[in-house]
Amino acid sequence: MRLRIEPSSGMPISRQLADQIRSQCVAQALKPGDRVPSVRELARELAVNQNTILHVYERLTAEGWLETRQGSGTFVKVNPGARAHKIAQTQSLLAQLRQAVQQARLLGITSEELHDMLSASMNLETESDTQVERRTL
Amino acid sequence: MTPAIRITNLTKTFGSKPALRSVNLEIPAGATVGLVGANGAGKTTLIKCALGLLRPTSGQCALLDESAWSLSAKAKGRLGYVPQVISLYPWMRVRELIQYTASFYASWNAQLTDRLVREWDIPLDDRVRGLSVGQKQKLAILTAVAYQPDLLILDEPAASLDPQARRQFLQLLVELTEPQQRTVLFSTHIMSDLERVADYVAMMQKGQIIYFGSLEDLKDRTHLSLEDAFLQMQQGVANG
Repeated sequence: MRLRIEPSSGMPISRQLADQIRSQCVAQALKPGDRVPSVRELARELAVNQNTILHVYERLTAEGWLETRQGSGTFVKVNPGARAHKIAQTQSLLAQLRQAVQQARLLGITSEELHDMLSASMNLETESDTQVERRTL
Repeated sequence: MTPAIRITNLTKTFGSKPALRSVNLEIPAGATVGLVGANGAGKTTLIKCALGLLRPTSGQCALLDESAWSLSAKAKGRLGYVPQVISLYPWMRVRELIQYTASFYASWNAQLTDRLVREWDIPLDDRVRGLSVGQKQKLAILTAVAYQPDLLILDEPAASLDPQARRQFLQLLVELTEPQQRTVLFSTHIMSDLERVADYVAMMQKGQIIYFGSLEDLKDRTHLSLEDAFLQMQQGVANG
């Protein structure tokens, strides 16, 4: 499970992690039946408070994304709400993009420049986690 | 549950200079608390009073259910402390210092010690005096956590650590703070560290606590990074 934390964002770390795990379930990067790391393992790996990870797992379990099997760990669950979640997330993304385009127009940024900016942001996305971590440290 | 640390109406003055003004703070047992504040805000004085290393001008400090100023040997054995200015016997070899410290504690965890020496690259055969500031800090952290104290207090523990060592230290902290098992209070200027590992944050300004609360609540309410929230809060207090 690849997760990335931006400690200096305004969003609580628990929400950052929950959002990423949900998205990975929707994108099938995490498939039903996959085992996710234990609270302890993930807390250590990310250097994040165990209570925070516990809180994330509890929330995702309550929402039907994860299930705990007694004695064997926490697993990704088939979630009938996944499609609806994807649609809602996509709509929100679209709204954000429209807003960005509008702002670009106001600033006189051309369509070509905007496309370049989008490509640059996408390249930034593929940077390794270590690089991002190093930047945020 | 009794709080691990309870500070009531604590005031401390040095000569005529007030360092702490009527501070009240209760740290729940099992919580990890980050203490932030500008230089001179009173963090180290607060920590030293809480530990019983400085006598309050007025008010009370209690930890582990005892008065900080007259702490029993038993309570001291449950308490781990890493001071901001680290003083370790300079003439000892690192190995000797570890063995010497271990001899005071029945609860010394040799396995954890070996692991940290390995993972943190601690040079056992060097003399303490020859260690770099960062190495001394690592050694001080090791000797404070290896006897598995119930309450761990660290004054800017990560200040001299390089990014890799800081990450390792945070991982250790996370590992040591199994939910509800150990109380940790640490002061820092590195907000991103605090955001990763703390349950609660205490903000200090000019000898007073200007905020104490859950980190998650603070972020949910302000939608700001901790650094911005802190700056804003400081500004708010300054403007009255």
